[in-house]
Amino acid sequence: MRKIINICLVLAGLTVVSSCKDVLDAPTQSSLDESVIFSTPALAEGSIAGIIQSFGETNSYRGRYLVFYGINTDTEVYNGLKTTDSEQSRLSNYNTNVANTQMNTDNNAWAKFYEGIERANLAIRGLRTYGNVQNNAQLGQILGEILTLRAVIYSDLIKGWGDVPARFEPITSETTYLPRSDRDVIYKQLLADLEEAATLLPWPNGSAATQSVERVNKAFAKGLRARLALAAGGYSQRLDGTVRLSTDPELSRDKMYTIAKNECLDIINSGTLKLQGFEEVFKTLNAETGRAGLESMWEIPFSEGRGRVIFDLGVRHTTTDKYTGQNRGGTNVPNPIMLYEYDKDDVRRDVSIVPYEWTGGVQVPSSLGRMYFGKYRYEWMKRVVTSTNDDGLNWLYMRYADVVLMAAEAINELDGPAAAAPYLQMIRTRAFPKNPEKVTSYMAQATASKTSFFNAIVDERALEFTGEMLRKADLIRWNLLGTKLAEAKTKLQQLETRQGKYANLPSKIYYKTLDDKETVQIYGLNFGDTDAIGNSLGYTANKTWTMSASSDKATYWDALYTRDPNLQQFWPIWQVFIDSSNGTLDNSNLKL
Amino acid sequence: MKKVLLVVTFLCSFLFAAIAQTKQITGNVRDKSGEALIGVSVTVKGTKQGASTDINGNFKLSVPTSSQVLVLNYVGFKTKEVNIAGQTNVKVTLDEDVTSLDEVVVIGYGTVKKKDLTGAVAQVSADVITAAPVSSAVEAITGRIPGVQISTTEGSPDAEMTVRVRGGGSITGSNAPLYIVDGFPVNSISDIAPSDIESIDVLKDASSTAIYGSRGANGVIMVTTKNSKSGTTSIGFTSFTGIKELANRLDVLTPQDYAYWQYERALLDGEVKDYTKYFGNFQDIDMYSNVRANDWQDIVFGRTGSTYNQNLNISGGSEKTKFSLSHSFVKEKAIMLYSGFERQNLNFKFNHKLYNKLTLDFGARYSNTKTEGGGANEQREISSADSRLKFAMIYPSIPVNGLTNSTETDPDFSLFSPLVALTDNDQYIHRKTYNLNGALNWDIIKDLRFRTEIGYDGYRNDQDRFYGQSTYYVQNVPAAANQGDPAIIFTNTNRNSFRNTNTLNYDFGKLLASKDHSLTALLGQEYIKTEEGILTTTVHGLPSTFTFTNARSLSTQGQANSIDNNFSVDDILLSYFGRVNYNFKGKYLLTGTFRADGSSKFKDGNRWGYFPSASAAWRLSDEAFMEDAKTWLSDLKIRASYGKAGNNGIPSGQMVQSFLNSTTTWVNGANNFWAPSKTMANPDLKWETTTTKNLGLDISLFKTRLNATFDFYTNNTNDLLIEYPVSGTGYDFQYRNLGETKNRGIEFSANWNALKKKNFELAFSANIAFNKNEVVSLGGLDVRGTSGWASSEVGYDYLVQEGASIGRIYGYVSDGRYEVADFSSYDAGKARWILNSDVANASTVVGTVRPGTMKLKDLNGDGIVDATDRAVIGNTNPKHTGGFSVNSKIYNFDVAAYFNWSFGNDIYNANKIEYTSTSKYSSRNMISTMATGQRWTNLRPDGTISNDGAELTSMNANTTLWSPYMSRYVLSDWAVEDGSFLRLGTVTLGYTVPVSLASKLKMKTLRVYASGYNLLLLTNYSGFDPEVSTRRRTNLTPGVDYSAYPKSKMYVFGLNVSF
Repeated sequence: MRKIINICLVLAGLTVVSSCKDVLDAPTQSSLDESVIFSTPALAEGSIAGIIQSFGETNSYRGRYLVFYGINTDTEVYNGLKTTDSEQSRLSNYNTNVANTQMNTDNNAWAKFYEGIERANLAIRGLRTYGNVQNNAQLGQILGEILTLRAVIYSDLIKGWGDVPARFEPITSETTYLPRSDRDVIYKQLLADLEEAATLLPWPNGSAATQSVERVNKAFAKGLRARLALAAGGYSQRLDGTVRLSTDPELSRDKMYTIAKNECLDIINSGTLKLQGFEEVFKTLNAETGRAGLESMWEIPFSEGRGRVIFDLGVRHTTTDKYTGQNRGGTNVPNPIMLYEYDKDDVRRDVSIVPYEWTGGVQVPSSLGRMYFGKYRYEWMKRVVTSTNDDGLNWLYMRYADVVLMAAEAINELDGPAAAAPYLQMIRTRAFPKNPEKVTSYMAQATASKTSFFNAIVDERALEFTGEMLRKADLIRWNLLGTKLAEAKTKLQQLETRQGKYANLPSKIYYKTLDDKETVQIYGLNFGDTDAIGNSLGYTANKTWTMSASSDKATYWDALYTRDPNLQQFWPIWQVFIDSSNGTLDNSNLKL
Repeated sequence: MKKVLLVVTFLCSFLFAAIAQTKQITGNVRDKSGEALIGVSVTVKGTKQGASTDINGNFKLSVPTSSQVLVLNYVGFKTKEVNIAGQTNVKVTLDEDVTSLDEVVVIGYGTVKKKDLTGAVAQVSADVITAAPVSSAVEAITGRIPGVQISTTEGSPDAEMTVRVRGGGSITGSNAPLYIVDGFPVNSISDIAPSDIESIDVLKDASSTAIYGSRGANGVIMVTTKNSKSGTTSIGFTSFTGIKELANRLDVLTPQDYAYWQYERALLDGEVKDYTKYFGNFQDIDMYSNVRANDWQDIVFGRTGSTYNQNLNISGGSEKTKFSLSHSFVKEKAIMLYSGFERQNLNFKFNHKLYNKLTLDFGARYSNTKTEGGGANEQREISSADSRLKFAMIYPSIPVNGLTNSTETDPDFSLFSPLVALTDNDQYIHRKTYNLNGALNWDIIKDLRFRTEIGYDGYRNDQDRFYGQSTYYVQNVPAAANQGDPAIIFTNTNRNSFRNTNTLNYDFGKLLASKDHSLTALLGQEYIKTEEGILTTTVHGLPSTFTFTNARSLSTQGQANSIDNNFSVDDILLSYFGRVNYNFKGKYLLTGTFRADGSSKFKDGNRWGYFPSASAAWRLSDEAFMEDAKTWLSDLKIRASYGKAGNNGIPSGQMVQSFLNSTTTWVNGANNFWAPSKTMANPDLKWETTTTKNLGLDISLFKTRLNATFDFYTNNTNDLLIEYPVSGTGYDFQYRNLGETKNRGIEFSANWNALKKKNFELAFSANIAFNKNEVVSLGGLDVRGTSGWASSEVGYDYLVQEGASIGRIYGYVSDGRYEVADFSSYDAGKARWILNSDVANASTVVGTVRPGTMKLKDLNGDGIVDATDRAVIGNTNPKHTGGFSVNSKIYNFDVAAYFNWSFGNDIYNANKIEYTSTSKYSSRNMISTMATGQRWTNLRPDGTISNDGAELTSMNANTTLWSPYMSRYVLSDWAVEDGSFLRLGTVTLGYTVPVSLASKLKMKTLRVYASGYNLLLLTNYSGFDPEVSTRRRTNLTPGVDYSAYPKSKMYVFGLNVSF
């Protein structure tokens, strides 16, 4: 019996030893503690890449937001819009369904934006806790960059979905499910964040990192703050479903214009950026030089093998050729009326709107309804894209011209057209490098009144930014979304039937391939061109210049929008996120 | 190996002791019918001395005069002890061991006689396992155990087998049972040689699994490997070799039909130059009528494979020492080019009585497996575009200028030569597992035994995966500079487990006053720790000429994209358990178990799970009132049990949100980034618990000639560990305890020894299991599964909802095709057909609608068929599964046939969708389901598209299917097929050489046999094989047939010898 007792004692001993409290603790390996990551600049930088990684996810900015946000407007439309009931069309024609198959997936931009936000929130907490950002400029810059990136995401969330959940702290079990927050709350936080970020960030070329447009600098933080201020002080569809201004006195129009004005002037006066030649801006972009201090202020730094800019928005190559191993482009296209909005001497037209596509390495005229954004061209790239799915071009998120025009707009509102005129003139002068007299006469007209100057800004931003997907948000904040779409509808119909100002345009275009065996020369795109002259010029080919096709299910103009745009200024939150929101989210603001 | 033998020999000789005074004894051993038994082991009880009988059944033995008893052992007969006091010659008759009631069944931390079982435990013995000529034990027991559904997911060597015990309760988590090999929990038993296995026992209800508490919820499969039974020397050698060939093939279009269809497709697409560019003018289409077609299936899968399998087993020892050493070798050349399999196993078991009260057990197991070839798909794929089977199916069967002779594929075609697809997706896996187990048993006092076990399990898996120039991976994943150049990824997984178990067994028999009572108790404690690390080395930008072989050995020619040495969080389990068995007169049996498990996967407070169970059995046949039935009723027992078992089958480290560092090729200026895991931490996780109620009946009739077992069960799984979608919060998933599932079922098995005559035996056995799965609650959530075989074209295609089962397929309902009558007119100006206003338009799903286009049902009646018109269109759960076998012996010949079936399950035939529709692609071949005469045609003989309603109607009077021209792949119930099947798994004809002859060759037994595997398959399924499941990355998408490696038939010839 004593043996048994002995055994029991031994066993009990073993048991006690092995049941020590920490026997079941298993710490994470292959990881580092936050205190190490966020106090070491070289490591902390990796949290910036973590946020950009979310941008590059399949259905994030890369595959969905960049291509589907911003259409349809008077400047940019979805290429297949005439099939009005397709899922892509429904994202663009103000009739979006909550179960849209393009978007209603759990890895959609909505989810990946919040993933980026969570990564930013964790990094911000880490940097503020362990980073000594006041004394360590490098960590300060990282904090500034992450605050700015978070604002970028929120800005696009609000543009896409209106009022969205506000998450500015890492998630906890209490905050897993949050309802939509009034966007004013978010705006105020972002305005404060960006103000702080600007104090932490160097100007372009002010530090090693800011020599590249792929890293956030002070000018971009300020520019983004101006953009957000204009949005916060502008119109939009609110949670109650109505289109109105904010009622929050902190976000009053004057205050917001003041922020925009001050930020823009800071940037302009810093002299760290400049206006390049208009074509040069986009040749620089496509050549992927990445140099800061020119016009580009910040670009989403997609690597060469990730991102779909030309793929979705560029000039289409219907076959692979020496410029690209990818036969893509033109998911979105310019609104056809834009070709006729430019003055014939405006150098921006031929850069922005390209009436041909490439087949077999040769430019071939496309059609009136299917022109392309010439700002994104495989043929301007320094490398040949080999990926079948991505082109890797950076997304030009903001450029100096935007700052200049925001300055003009804000100063006009606050100080009147005379004070604002120099800024509009900067842009106008660049657009007409060989016709200064046209600039002078235009400026005289524009500065006639505050209203006429505002209208000039509205027009100028369309001409300047076609293809850059800024228009929709601009129209919304000006409360011109419905108006401009209705105008565009009329113009499209007139253009197709050659009525109104389009009455004398030729019905056909006349073209030939030049001796270099790839460039196409086209006659018939300008006011003043006629079929009679076209026929006489000896071109080898011609084609009817129309936007309708035999397979059309709707006319181009009817396809622009199918419901009142002002009642559907935003996309609904997709069903999959409604379903997994524990009842906190709905789309009642859109009556969906 | 030599070394081991030397050591063993040394040990054995060391143990032979001096011989005392002896006497000579002779004897003769026969069976009941008077037939001499040859090779019966005769040992003197209490000593190591022994002999065996000769061909006349005679033996001769020197016996110490002090010895009184001989022990006779013979396979298939009951062991007999013979008193030899005062005798020098004995005649012994051995009884055949027809009763299975005395068989010992392995249960957790012990064994129990089958007749004393109170829980639901099923056993498969060695002879069944080795009857099938396959290299995997799991494959060999397919259809043998009721309630254990085993599916070989595809035909590749080393293919994964899914094993489900009673359906499985988890939704997103693993439903794999717990595998215990000789007491050690392992991840898989595929590396164990079937011939090394003594028995496989499956614990099915909680009363038997609760002793394994944690992880017992999905059943426990216990494998016991062989050891010497008697201690007499025996050498066995088995070997078989055979050939394998493709079991089934699908016809594709003839070259002319292919060209003809490409022409129609090009016209429908409005781009006739897509045809003329590759195929010439339509007028010349006749030239395709006599072109010889490449049979790609034959080229890729058609070779004659081979299999060679051998096993050598040496066992022996003495009264004090027993050992067994075996070596197995398997080599297979698979039917697919460049694929093969090779495995070496070494198994050594040893036990020795150190002292009177102290015995030592030792076991060592080693396996070394090499798998060549990339197979036809993979679970951790980069893109389904790299799945291989389609190349062999829909790549043009004839040379097409510009497509088949071009190194650059047209994106609208997007296929490469099937041979290129194979070499560009090549793979080599080298896996080594080693297991060492030592145990000491100490009989502290009489009836009290202490056992301590220490074990180590090592797992090393080296996977070299090559991506050639044609793969999606190299075209898209590497940084731009390296895109298009070959890449290789080396993944080295190291896993080590350490285990210590201490148990105390006590038999209270002596303390109890009456012999009618029996009471035994077990107390134990266990500690298991598992460490895992994975080193992944990704090399991009290898020279474009590099093959797999070059890439493996010259990886420095490329650029290291990333070297990721990732250590997982350790998985630690600490447990205490106990069991009490009580029975009264063998009539009333009671078992109670309790286990407490602490897991490192949960936080303090939720860490410990407690799993009690109780079961009882009543042997009616022993009751007095059943006395009259004794003549025919050998045994009748009713069992009932209730218990809980747990599951912690989630990845370690879910409690804390830690930062992970990962590589990226997406961000300029960075090659790695810090981010939390995409799975949100959940510190509140706790054990998933399954409660099992089981009611069973064991009956044995006619002197145990007919044995049957019934079981009825209900398993409720609560606090399911679900990978819950939380996208939109910042994370993709979070593990949560949520919801409840239920499995209910009936199992029945029987075996009947119909005849047992001297020269004729006939036995049948059969089993069947019904299981019904239901998701009781899911917190109001629907869980969607996406198989993803068509990238994003199909969307989610599985739906789990409350009140229904898991594994339901979700898609459109086919409504045939649009007939001419569905259209009001043809608008020649706009070149389109106008639908009648009452006919739903499916154009957003199938593309532009015209007569002949696939038609889908408009379920919500809004006139448009879109994503909202989908419904549940199939259920992959079988209504019942089972198997039956026939065994017969006629003189020296033996015949056996094993069948298994599955009934009532649906298969999602994704292959069929891909092989019968164009999606966005051009120039692809199709299977003959869509041949001319079957498919709708729009093409007039003169090579123009008809838009004349009457003409189209008459042209298609005899066609039944729609036009394959579609804008994308569409999942409709047409692609959901009945997957019921009956398979003749194994059929064997053997001949045992008469002992008289064998003994002249110095052999105890010699048997030769011929065997066929998978020779017959009865099914209505139109694909390669209905036993398939290729999209296994999540548990949500079972039963998808996409790019499965085709199965083979096998003919083998084999030999079993023992000395």
